[in-house]
Amino acid sequence: MFPAFAKYRQSFLIGLQSNLVYRMNFAVRGFFSLFHLAVVFILWGAVYSQNESIGGFSFGQTLTYFLVMLVMQFFVGAFNEDYQISEEIRSGLINQFILKPINYFSYRFSIFLAARLVTGALILIPLLVAVPLLKDYLTLPTEAWRFFLLAPAMMLSALIQFSIAYCFGMLTFWFLEIQGFVILSMAIESLLGGQMFPLDLLPAWIFNAAKFLPFYYQTYFPTAIITGRIEFAAAIQGFGIQLIWVLVLLAVNQLLWTRGLRRHTAVGG
Amino acid sequence: MTKYFQIWLASARYSITRTLMFRFDFFLWALVELFWMGVNLLLISVIYEHTDSIAGWSKYEMLLLVGTSLLVQRFLMGFFWSSLFEMGRNIKSGAFDFFLAQPGNILFMASTRKLDLDGLCNSLVAMGVVAYAAHRLNLQPSALDLLLYAVMIFCGLIIHYSMLVMTISLAFWITSAQGIEGSYFTLAEFSRLPREAFKGIASVLFVWLLPVVVVSNAPAQILLHGFQPAWVLALVAATLAWFGTALFVFHRGLRRYASASS
Repeated sequence: MFPAFAKYRQSFLIGLQSNLVYRMNFAVRGFFSLFHLAVVFILWGAVYSQNESIGGFSFGQTLTYFLVMLVMQFFVGAFNEDYQISEEIRSGLINQFILKPINYFSYRFSIFLAARLVTGALILIPLLVAVPLLKDYLTLPTEAWRFFLLAPAMMLSALIQFSIAYCFGMLTFWFLEIQGFVILSMAIESLLGGQMFPLDLLPAWIFNAAKFLPFYYQTYFPTAIITGRIEFAAAIQGFGIQLIWVLVLLAVNQLLWTRGLRRHTAVGG
Repeated sequence: MTKYFQIWLASARYSITRTLMFRFDFFLWALVELFWMGVNLLLISVIYEHTDSIAGWSKYEMLLLVGTSLLVQRFLMGFFWSSLFEMGRNIKSGAFDFFLAQPGNILFMASTRKLDLDGLCNSLVAMGVVAYAAHRLNLQPSALDLLLYAVMIFCGLIIHYSMLVMTISLAFWITSAQGIEGSYFTLAEFSRLPREAFKGIASVLFVWLLPVVVVSNAPAQILLHGFQPAWVLALVAATLAWFGTALFVFHRGLRRYASASS
């Protein structure tokens, strides 16, 4: 147990260093997310100027939702892990992992955690600008259970995010280019993950169907818990489905890895 | 002038041949763009499930605006995106030398090398969205209105092109900047909003300083309310100003280009 832990602790630390190199890129991305918040503010501000409440929520609650969603993306969202994995497969860098007693998934996951630590810290900088400006609007529910459930929901979300990115990376064994697939799935994720609008505004039948898809648990679920868009019973039920998706995705990852390796030819590696 | 047209035609022929070679890629990317357009249209339809108007715009007026903004964006994707995206990479890697050695305008050669047929196909879908919205609104634009609309779309394309050239030119200064192109998409989000929604400082910044709102609102206004000199003038002025600035920034950056050492 402990030697294994030391192994992945090292890869976590390496990941931390290599992600700190790209701190400017992440910071630029964080800066531009402020513009996204401005779009949200203008669009929903115009919508709420004619309506007191939309789907039972006030302007402040909706704005809080989008702000939390943004923070969530930086704390648990996969950024370019799929491309990194794809690149390692294509360039033959994974050959060394086949030969060493290291689990590639765990190795990549520890780097993913390091990356989220860096991006999570960096999003706090634009937040320092945004929160004072928006403080009159921001409002969070006060029930204690929401704060207790947030951390486990975020951890499982991070696992789902990473697993999906890992799956797309694995596609490199079969396809030369995965960018098309990734951007296609980004469209689906941004929609069904609740980044475009709060999912509960969807017609009820679509919303209920979305609950059974993994995308719902990528960012929407933890965001809904902390911003009060989901009740206790629904949150517990959500945990069950989220856990099932984590297991399913882990199994798919393992399957793609073993199947992919069969196709893999380590030329000159 | 005809020389440049011939060069462009040769690039277009090359791109079409390439697309025919990689048919699966073409379908995949066409689908990708279609999905993203769908996401934006869905946002509108979900919001209008809960309200009748946004800043005085009805559902189909808004659809016409979003369709117009998507149309300009599709043209940008189709005509220039791939070439400009590669320009950023080439500046970093030093492969940009290749364009400097060509006997022609550098920016023209670098930004017209590749056409994306998937973007151009989806521009038809965007036109369909605009036409559908116009039909639902019972609009009957005259031939002159349509011509003006086309001119406005062309101006919008130049403005988007200029913004992208400027963003990509940043690579001359910050060679480590990855994914800076993405910032373009963030700014493009504003062009899907009606001008009336912008108030106070947002109005100064996004309507007057950055051209992102006028790009879509000016053409949409022509279809919705006929010829309005103020909108047309604003757009033409913005086009000239932004294209000029983009040329200036690009050439300034070019002086800093250090070839393969970067």
